[in-house]
Amino acid sequence: MRLLTHNMLSSNIKGVTSGFPLRIEVEKMVEKEVELNADFLRNMFAKVEWKALVEASKTLGYTELPDNVEPSMLDSDEFLNRFHHALLELHLEEGALVCPETGRKFPVNKGIPNMLLHEDEV
Amino acid sequence: MWVEGISSSGWRSHVYAMGHLATSSPTNPIRPALTMPIGENATNSLRSRGRPRRNTMSVRAASDTLRKGIAEFYDESSGIWEDIWGDHMHHGFYDPASDVSISDHRAAQIRMIDQSLAFASLPDESKQKPKSIVDVGCGIGGSSRYLARKFGAKCQGITLSPVQAQRAQQLADAQGLNGQVSFEVADALNQPFPDAQFDLVWSMESGEHMPEKKKFVNELVRVAAPGGTIIIVTWCHRDLSPSEESLRPEEKDLLDRICRAFYLPEWCSTADYVSLLRSISMEDVKSADWSDHVAPFWPAVIKSALTWKGITSLLTSGWKTIWGALVMPLMIQGYNKGLIKFAIITCRKPNRP
Repeated sequence: MRLLTHNMLSSNIKGVTSGFPLRIEVEKMVEKEVELNADFLRNMFAKVEWKALVEASKTLGYTELPDNVEPSMLDSDEFLNRFHHALLELHLEEGALVCPETGRKFPVNKGIPNMLLHEDEV
Repeated sequence: MWVEGISSSGWRSHVYAMGHLATSSPTNPIRPALTMPIGENATNSLRSRGRPRRNTMSVRAASDTLRKGIAEFYDESSGIWEDIWGDHMHHGFYDPASDVSISDHRAAQIRMIDQSLAFASLPDESKQKPKSIVDVGCGIGGSSRYLARKFGAKCQGITLSPVQAQRAQQLADAQGLNGQVSFEVADALNQPFPDAQFDLVWSMESGEHMPEKKKFVNELVRVAAPGGTIIIVTWCHRDLSPSEESLRPEEKDLLDRICRAFYLPEWCSTADYVSLLRSISMEDVKSADWSDHVAPFWPAVIKSALTWKGITSLLTSGWKTIWGALVMPLMIQGYNKGLIKFAIITCRKPNRP
């Protein structure tokens, strides 16, 4: 699971008011190199919840993202590289996504999150 | 006859969930549809009135069983389908007037996606094309990868089947769609996304698996961004005439047999979907009956099952896949009787200030 995906997922357990962002528990994490696409990154920039991305990448051991950003930073190659690396090259292979309110764990196996809710959570 | 014999004997204890559905029209205000206990024959619960509401626990248990059944069915069958038909697990779109050769079927499946986009008048120009897409009931991600590539967009796919999600991601990575496309195991009735995320909400032949059509539609709408497009392509039964409360008994019987093999809950009509979408203020709600455009599909699938490769693959798959294969002629019967309709329903979520 890449952090781009993590940035889109939330816990919608019944009664939970702020299920985003999910905390991350890491059991196995890998880095996979991927070609940088500047246009794609620029398109995604507007949609990404930045704070959640920074926190998540720190959990996965990457601390190079700036805490605050503005669109003009997209002109910097260095920023794009860091953004790209955090968003697309850090993979959670095994672990869990944790609901920030209830602590419920959604398992991540072979990189695929399982977000199915139990009977009593809907 | 031998097909029906196999599919109806010995499986009556098989549990399947019933549909939940509500509708409204100018003359009938929205009323919660009725739930039926597990194992009873379904009527079209949209129109049924006057029966006591059952315990919601039994409904949830039934839904869980259905969900598990769907996941297992696709965990078991996806590989063999992909092997013979490729990565699109939906009908092809055909010109009713022309002859179809076997090799055209994969192209026809692509045509189905393109025709669906065209029907919804989805913009192609750079500024307005969708940037984020959700593929609800994504199979092994055929649509997800195609749409992501076509629009240069980000796409999330959800499926109940862990095997499918794995395979979908594997194919995406192998095709260099790293990052653009990702897949999760999740329930379409409880999508794991915050509200208003997606410019395009895509449901290609997954709606027929959804046990609570109202909840299904509400979730599609919830995750759609303001101004976003929703496209549903699905199997429906024929619209009921104003004097009809439900389908005829022999029609229900045929659908029940199909439902048990394909892990489908109760069917609804195209008009039901239109009604649901309008009742939650969707704009530009359109629908069409594409049954004529998919007529060659099931005969082609049956033909492929009867090849040497098809038979040997089936025999080494599980009983769920075999049973599904045996029930395919009933789909043709359903279409021929005008009972089963291949429907497209599209709409737009209003732009809110």
